[in-house]
Amino acid sequence: MRKLWGVLLFCFGTLPVFAGDANELFYLLRARVLLVKDYTADVKMKINVTYMRVPQLSGTLYFKSPDKMRLERHGGLSIFPKKNTNLTLGNLIPDGKVIVLDMGYAEKAGKKLRILKIVPEDDQSNIVITKLWVDEANLLILHTESTTRNDGTVTMDLEFGNYIPYALPDKVTIFMDVKDYKLPNGLAMDYNDELDIAEKAKKEKATKGTIQITYLKYTINTGLDDDLFK
Amino acid sequence: MEPIIETKNLSKSFKGFLAVDRLSFAIGHGEVYGLLGQNGAGKSATMRMLLGLIFPDSGNIFFNGSEFSNSRRDLLKNVGAIIERPDMYGYLSGWENLKIFAALSGGKIPATRLHEVLELVGLKGREKDKVKTYSQGMKQRLGIAIALVHKPELLILDEPTNGLDPQGIAEMRALIVSLSQDHGKTILISSHLLYEIEHIATNMLIMHKGKKVVDGPVNKLLNPDKNLVEVIIRADSSIAGKLASSQWQQYLQSKENTIITFKMNPANTPALNKWLVGENIDVLEIRTKHSLEDYFLSLTNDTVTKDRVI
Amino acid sequence: MIQLLRIELYKIFKRPRTYISFVIAAAITFVIQLAMITDGKTFMNFAMQGINEQFEIQGNIINGYFVTHIILQSLLVHIPLLVALVAGDSLAGEANQGTLRLLLTKPISRSKLVFVKFLSSFIYTVILIIWLAIVSLLLSILIFGKGDMINLKSETFIIILKNDVLWRYMAAFAFAVLAMTTIASMAMLLSAFADNSIGPIISTMGIVVVLAILSNLEIPLFNYIKPYLFTTHMIGWKGFFDDPVPLGAIGRSAMVLVCYTTGFIACTIFYFNRKDITS
Repeated sequence: MRKLWGVLLFCFGTLPVFAGDANELFYLLRARVLLVKDYTADVKMKINVTYMRVPQLSGTLYFKSPDKMRLERHGGLSIFPKKNTNLTLGNLIPDGKVIVLDMGYAEKAGKKLRILKIVPEDDQSNIVITKLWVDEANLLILHTESTTRNDGTVTMDLEFGNYIPYALPDKVTIFMDVKDYKLPNGLAMDYNDELDIAEKAKKEKATKGTIQITYLKYTINTGLDDDLFK
Repeated sequence: MEPIIETKNLSKSFKGFLAVDRLSFAIGHGEVYGLLGQNGAGKSATMRMLLGLIFPDSGNIFFNGSEFSNSRRDLLKNVGAIIERPDMYGYLSGWENLKIFAALSGGKIPATRLHEVLELVGLKGREKDKVKTYSQGMKQRLGIAIALVHKPELLILDEPTNGLDPQGIAEMRALIVSLSQDHGKTILISSHLLYEIEHIATNMLIMHKGKKVVDGPVNKLLNPDKNLVEVIIRADSSIAGKLASSQWQQYLQSKENTIITFKMNPANTPALNKWLVGENIDVLEIRTKHSLEDYFLSLTNDTVTKDRVI
Repeated sequence: MIQLLRIELYKIFKRPRTYISFVIAAAITFVIQLAMITDGKTFMNFAMQGINEQFEIQGNIINGYFVTHIILQSLLVHIPLLVALVAGDSLAGEANQGTLRLLLTKPISRSKLVFVKFLSSFIYTVILIIWLAIVSLLLSILIFGKGDMINLKSETFIIILKNDVLWRYMAAFAFAVLAMTTIASMAMLLSAFADNSIGPIISTMGIVVVLAILSNLEIPLFNYIKPYLFTTHMIGWKGFFDDPVPLGAIGRSAMVLVCYTTGFIACTIFYFNRKDITS
C-alpha cells in the first residue's frame, strides 16, 4: 500500500503532464480513488434547493467504500439526498471492465482538461455512461457527468487543495435534479409575506439543486465499522 | 347657605320616552329629601343624573354652587350612593368589596374606618363571607357601608328598603334617620311609599311622569291641620243642622250622604267623636287621611296602602 | 391610576373564571403533546412525503421546538377566545353584575377606567402567553428534547439550527402578546356596547373567525382588503421562523396591530365617556 502511494507521489513529481493512453489514465485514476477505503471528515454542507431553506450544516461525514455514507450532526438533524451514493466519487466511476473513449481536451475554469468517456461493459450497472474531466498534471478528476439508470443525470464539481495526495477533494458540488414540493393541504398556515417568496420561487422554475460539501479535515482508512451506517 | 344640590330644568329622554321633564329642585344642607313617585316616575333617572351615570339632555345640576359636569370627580368624593339594587362583586367577600370601593372613594381610608362602618350597619362578623352568600338585607347594608365609608356629606339612596323583609325595612329606616340626626348627613332618598317618606324625610318632592307635582317641607305638605278626617255615620237627617250650630262647622270640608269629611288636625278626632256620640249620632267609622294621600293614591296604585300597614 | 390598576387586577385574579383560561391553554397544549407522542411519526411522514421522496432526514425531528411550533398554530383560533373571556367581560361584566353603577359613582374618570381595564386585560394577556410559553415550550422541550427545528410551509421547507431557535420563540411570543392585545382591545370595545358579557365574547370570536377566513381565502376580490384586516397580521409571529426573517413584513404587521389596538381603545374611551349607564 505504502509503496503504491510512493509510486503515485513519484509520478506527480516526475510526470508534470500525463501524456499516456486514455485507458491507462482511467485505470490509474480509478486505482487512486479506490485507495481510500474509508474516511471520517469534518464537513460543512450547504443545500441549495429552491424550496428548501436550510442553513449550512456542520457535522461529521463518514464514508466507507464503495457506497456507504452518513452525516452525523451530533444531536441535530441530518438531511441528505436519499440516493446519497451519488455523492461518492467511487460510485460514479464504474467498476469492472469498461470501454474508455478519449474525447480530447477542453478548457474548464481556465484549465486544460482531458475528457474521458467511460461506458461499463456490464449492462446491469447503474451507470450508463460517465464523462470525466481530468487534470492530468495532478491526476485528479475535477468534474463528472454521469447518466445513471435509476437516478437521472448527476453532475459533480470537485476542488482539491489540502488532500491532493489522497485524491480527496476539499470541496464537492453536486448538481442534482429536484422535484417540486408541496405540503399536503390543511397542514400549512402561511404568513402572507411568504406567499410572495413562494411565488417568486415558482417563477424561477429551477428544478436543479446543488449540494455543496466542504471538507475541513479527513481521517483516512481507520477501518470504520459497517454498524456506523445503519 | 347655598343648597348642596340644585337642579334647573333637568330633562332626560330615553329613545323618545321623556323620563325627566324640566325638573328643578334644591336640597339644603342637613335635609333628608324624599323623592316620591311611582315606579317609572323618573326618580332613578334623576338620581343617576345627579351622580353622572347618565347625561341630561338639557338643564343644569349644581353641587354647592358649582356646575356638576365641570367638577364631577371632586364632587363625587363627597357623595355616597346606592342606586337600585346594591350589586357587588359576589365572588369577593364583604370586606374585600368594602375595601375596593373605599380605595376608589378618593383619599386614604384606614382599616379602622372600615370596621367602624361595618359595625354601624351591623355586618360585623360576616365581613369575611363572600357577598354571594349574603341576603338582600345584608347586601343593602353593605351598600350603605360602602356609601358611608369615605364620610361623604351627601348620601343618595335609591329605594333603599326595596326587597327587604319587614324587619329589614324597619332597621333601614332607623339607620337612615340616625345617619341624618346623629351623623349630620344630607340624604336624598327615593321611594314609592308616601308613608316611608313621611317618616324619614324633612323635605319631599312628588314626581309623576318625569314632572314635579309638588315639593316642600314634609311638615307643610303633610300639615296635620290640613289632614282629612272622614266620618261615616248611620243615616241621620238632623246631622246638618247639628253641625251648623257647632264648632265643627269651621272644619267641614264636604258632606256626601253618610260620609262627612273634616279638614283638621287628627288630634281633634277624639273630641269630634265625643260630640257626635253626645249628639246621638251613630258613628260607624272614623278614618284619618293626609290631604296629599288621595292625590298620591290616584297617581300610584294600591301598593301604597298595602305597605302602609307596616 | 396604579391603585385602580391594582384593584382591576385583584378583581380579575380573584375570580375563578380567570383560571379556566389557564387550564384550557394547558389542556390544548397537553392534547397536542400527547398526539405528538403517539402519532407524531405518522403525522411527520404524511407532512413530509414530498421531502422524503428525495431526501433522507435523520435525527430527532419531533423535538420540543417542533412540537411547540405545532401548538402555536392554535394561537389564532383558541387563545383569542381566552383573551376575549376576560377583556369582553371587562365593562359588560360589571354592567351585568350591576357594579358598574357603583364604580362610576366613585370619583374616577371614565377614560381612566377604560384605560386601566385595557391595561389589566393586557397584563392578563401577557401572563397567559407566558403561561403558554411555559407549558408549550418548556414542557415540550422536557418531553421531546431540543433539536434543529423543521418548519413546514406550503411551498418551502425550512430547517432552523437548534441554537438559533430560542430567540425566535421569544420574539414570536412577544408578537403573540401584541396580536392578542389587539383582540383584547376589540373585545373591550364590544364590551362597552353591551350590558352582558356573553355578547362581546361571542362577537369577538365571530369577528376573528370571519376575518381569519377572509384572510386565508384565495379569492382575488379579498386580496385587496386582506392587508387591512388585523387577522392577516395576527400570524406575524410565524415570520420569525422563516429564513430569512422578513423583518420588514413583521414590522408592518406589528404597526397595523398597534394601529388597530389604539383605534379600538380610542373608540372605547370615546363611546364609554358618552354612555348612559342604565344597567
